[in-house]
Amino acid sequence: MSKESRERSIMSDTDFRKPQVKIGYGVMLLALAALALTMLYPFGTTIFSSLKTRQEVFTYPPSFFPKQLMFENYMEGFRYIDLGRAFANTALLYAGNVLIPLTVIGLAAFSMSQMKLPFRRALTMFFMSTLMIPSATYLIPSFLNLQNLGLIDSYWAFWLAGGANAFSIMLVKSFFDGIHKELFEAARIDGASELRCFFQLALPLSKPVFATLMILTFTNTWNDWYWPSLVISTPEKLPIAPLVYKNIISSMNMPMNIKFSVLTIIMAPPLLFFAIFQKNIVHGLNLSGVKG
Amino acid sequence: MSAIPTVQPTNLHAEKRIVKRFRDYAWGFIFLLPAIVVFCVFLWLPIAKGIYFSFMNVDFVKGNLFVGLAHYREIFQSGVVALAARNTLYYMLLGLLIGYWIPSVVAIALSELRWFQGSMRLIVYLPNIVPAVVLYGMWQYLYDPLGPLNQILSWFGIDKVMWLTDKGLAMISIVITESWQSFGTATLIYLAGIIGIPKDLYEAAEIDGAGVLQRIRHITIPGIRHLYVLLFILQIIGTSQGFMTHVALTGGGPNNATLTYMYLITNEAFVNLNFGKASAMGVIMFVVMTTVSIILYSIQGRSKRA
Repeated sequence: MSKESRERSIMSDTDFRKPQVKIGYGVMLLALAALALTMLYPFGTTIFSSLKTRQEVFTYPPSFFPKQLMFENYMEGFRYIDLGRAFANTALLYAGNVLIPLTVIGLAAFSMSQMKLPFRRALTMFFMSTLMIPSATYLIPSFLNLQNLGLIDSYWAFWLAGGANAFSIMLVKSFFDGIHKELFEAARIDGASELRCFFQLALPLSKPVFATLMILTFTNTWNDWYWPSLVISTPEKLPIAPLVYKNIISSMNMPMNIKFSVLTIIMAPPLLFFAIFQKNIVHGLNLSGVKG
Repeated sequence: MSAIPTVQPTNLHAEKRIVKRFRDYAWGFIFLLPAIVVFCVFLWLPIAKGIYFSFMNVDFVKGNLFVGLAHYREIFQSGVVALAARNTLYYMLLGLLIGYWIPSVVAIALSELRWFQGSMRLIVYLPNIVPAVVLYGMWQYLYDPLGPLNQILSWFGIDKVMWLTDKGLAMISIVITESWQSFGTATLIYLAGIIGIPKDLYEAAEIDGAGVLQRIRHITIPGIRHLYVLLFILQIIGTSQGFMTHVALTGGGPNNATLTYMYLITNEAFVNLNFGKASAMGVIMFVVMTTVSIILYSIQGRSKRA
C-alpha cells in the first residue's frame, strides 16, 4: 500500500519520527515476531518429528529438523490404526450431521422468522433458555437418556440430537430476518406452498449462513473426541478423533515418530478446509463475536 | 346449514375464526415441530431427568431408589468435591491471568502493524484449527521432561522443569496449552473492534497533544470495552466447565492437583458408576452458573448503557 492511500491508525506518520516511538515500535515488532514463532513452533515440531527416525525423536538435545526424511512413518501410521475406516466413519457421520440437524434448524428458523406463529415469545424462550444451562447439568443424564432410547453405539444419537442447537437457530433466524417479508407474501399470493417458499426461496438466498454452519459442523465432527468416545462403544464405528485419542494419545508405548505422523495426517484436513473457506470462517467469527 | 347463520351468527363467526386461525398457524407450527421434539427429547428431558436422578440411587439392575437429599449432603461434606471446586476456581483465575488480557494487547499491536498484518492474523489464528487430540499430542511432547521446552530452558541455565507432573505447575501448563489454542479467536474479535473505532478520534487527540500510549488508554481501550466484558463472560462460562485437557494431559493428577469439578462429575458417573451423585453435582453446577450468569449479564447490560 502506498503512503497516501494508507488510513491512519493509532499512530500517525508524525509520531513515527520521534525516537522513543521508534524504539517502542521496534520492541513491539520483536514481541510480535516472538509470538509468531510461539504460534508456529508446535506445528514445526509435529510435522518434522513425523519424518524422523525412531531414535532421532528421543536424542537429547532434541533436533528440530530431521536428519533424514522417513516418509515410511506415514505408511506405518496407516497400518498402526485403521485410519481409512475412521475417515469413512467420520465422513458418514458428517453427512448426517449436516443433512438432518440443518434441516430441522432451517425449518424452525424459517417458521420463527417468516411465518405466523402462536405463542411466539414462549416458544423463543423454550429454545433460547437452553443456552443458559451449563452442559455439566445434562452431560450425565444425556448419556443415560440415550441408553434408554437405545441410541448408544449409533450415529443417530448425533444426527437426531444435533438439531437441538439454539445458537444455530438464532444464527439462521437472524439471517432470515434480513430477507424482505414481501418476497414470501408475493410467492404465497402466487400460490406457492410454505415448503416451496422455504426450499426454493429462503434456502438459496441464505447460502452464506448455511455455509458457515456446515463449516462449524465440520470442525465439531472432526474435533469432538470426548462425547463420541462415550456414545460409540464398537471400536470399528469410532470416528477419527476418539479413535486417535483412545489408541494414540492415551497410549504410552507408541513410537513418537509414528504418533506424530498420524497427528499430522488428521491435522491436514482442517488446515485445508480453513485454507479454502477462510473468508466464511472469519465471517462466522465476526457473527459470533461482534454482534453478541 | 343454511338456516343456522341467521340464528347464531356470532358463534359460527367465532368458530370460523378459530378454524381460520388454526389453518394460518398450522404450517408455522408444523415447521417448528421437529425442533420442538428434538429439544424436548435431547435437552429438556435430560435436564429434567438430571434433577430427578439427583434424588435417586440410580441402579440399572435393582431399579432406582429414592434417597432424598442424601447425595447433596454427601457432596457438601466431601473433601474431594471441595478440592475440585477450589481447583476449578484456581483454573478459572489462571485462565484470566494468562489467557484473558494478552489477546487484547496483541490485537492493539496488530492493528498498528504496517507490514505483514494479513499473515500475522493468519498465524495467530492457526492454533485454533488444530483438533483437540492433535493439541494434546503436541503438548505432551513439548512438556516432556526431555522435550523441547526444557531444552530451551537449559540454554538459559534453567534446570529441568516437570511441566505436567509437578503439583504447582501442572494446572499452569494446562492453561498455557489452552491459551495457545484459543487466543487467536479472541485476538481477531478484538481486532475487528479496534478497526471499527473512528480514526478522527486519534487525529483530534493527537492535535490536542496526547501521546501514543495516552491515545491507547483513553480511546482504544474504552472503544473495545464491550468486547472485554463479552469475552470475560464467555471465558468464565467456558472455563468453569473445563475438564477435557485435564483428562488428556494429566488425568487429574498429580495427586488430584488438576481435578476440576466437571472432571469429578464424569469420574463419579463413569468410574464410580454413581449416576445419582453425578447428577446432583450437575444440578448444583446449574444453580451456581445461573446465579453467576444473571450477575454477569446485568454487568454487561450496565456496560452497554455506559
